[in-house]
Amino acid sequence: MESLDDVIDAMIADRVIHRHRRKWLIALALVVVLAVVIFFTGGWKEKQGRRVDTLDAPVTIEAGRFEVGISKAIIWRTPKTEYSEAKSRLAVEVQLKNIDEEDRTSTRFDSDLLRWVIPGKDPIKAENVTCKEVIGYILVYGLPAESCVVEFKVSPNFSTDQVEIGVLAERYTADSGLLGASEKPYWHNEQAKAVVRVPTTIETEIEK
Amino acid sequence: MKLYRPVTVLVGLLFVMLGGLTRLAEPEQVYDDSNRVVVKGTIGEELDFSGTTVTVHRMKFARAYLTGDRDEKAVTTNGIYVALEYSTVRGTQDPPNPSAELITDDNTIYAPIGETWGGRIDLAEPGFAIDGAVVFEVNPDDVKGLTLRVRSTPFFTVLTQDVSVDLGVPDDKVARQLMDQATPEYLIPRGVKRVAS
Repeated sequence: MESLDDVIDAMIADRVIHRHRRKWLIALALVVVLAVVIFFTGGWKEKQGRRVDTLDAPVTIEAGRFEVGISKAIIWRTPKTEYSEAKSRLAVEVQLKNIDEEDRTSTRFDSDLLRWVIPGKDPIKAENVTCKEVIGYILVYGLPAESCVVEFKVSPNFSTDQVEIGVLAERYTADSGLLGASEKPYWHNEQAKAVVRVPTTIETEIEK
Repeated sequence: MKLYRPVTVLVGLLFVMLGGLTRLAEPEQVYDDSNRVVVKGTIGEELDFSGTTVTVHRMKFARAYLTGDRDEKAVTTNGIYVALEYSTVRGTQDPPNPSAELITDDNTIYAPIGETWGGRIDLAEPGFAIDGAVVFEVNPDDVKGLTLRVRSTPFFTVLTQDVSVDLGVPDDKVARQLMDQATPEYLIPRGVKRVAS
């Protein structure tokens, strides 16, 4: 048999549930309305497009501790021979200068700092940077710009008349000392600086 | 049990203040950390580098270098190359992975060229020596007080020994004279390993 206590409990529970029912309903309705509005206005979209300037080659950009000049690009095609497959590579000619006023240190140009930008796809990292036919050439602070070649992989019959090369710039900052890191600033944390439109020609080379 | 008694908090505060005090006691060293001992010397001196010895025999200026590979052109520069011919004798202690750099009075730091030979200071097995050369590309207008630094990068912050070799370029006049005598092409010698005598 139901005791009086149970009855009172049931009454109190009833009251508690009903007391805020209107607020709950309004909140729920708001969520539904918001969902409908977002759905019909196109939904949450990832931000598309560039936040940096697009420039035309030839151009010289100051990007962090380097001055990067981009002049032209060539797709080198190697026809197939009896012993090797056909292949090609995209070679972008750049002029690199070490302008590291802060550290005045010789350093190599990290090939990660140049990307081949293709709209709608992930940017492609460079394969290597070669100056005077030396891979990983050390650029000296205080000397004039060196003429270098940045290479990207392409499929054998790839062709285009223009490529877009993104230039990233490192920043001279320190890590947070709060986490126990040294508070000395150093070059890191690269961010997009500009995109350069480079006219591209196609040339053929015979394998040595 | 009470976790945060006033005494606990006080002890914590004491540690924080002690940390601050050790920072105050650290000398104001601009270019080196306080855990580095620098062994200074000149060309021809045998210098101790954590049980290993490093000797710079001579310094040569060059307008271009060759690595000695077949059908290869000399690599030229807009500046000038400095070749340091050295020998190292590895001791029994674990060697601290040396990295070489040149530093000038203006605090410009030159790194070795990016080649297999001439790109670093090599160490052999304990009891063996290596005669080799390390080559740097430098700015001819910025060589006053040229000094070789051989630094080691230990994994932990322990007392570390570095070597600093004064290469004897006290002013621009001496530098100019050295550069006038620069060889047109320098063939980088491959490191030769021998038993330490």
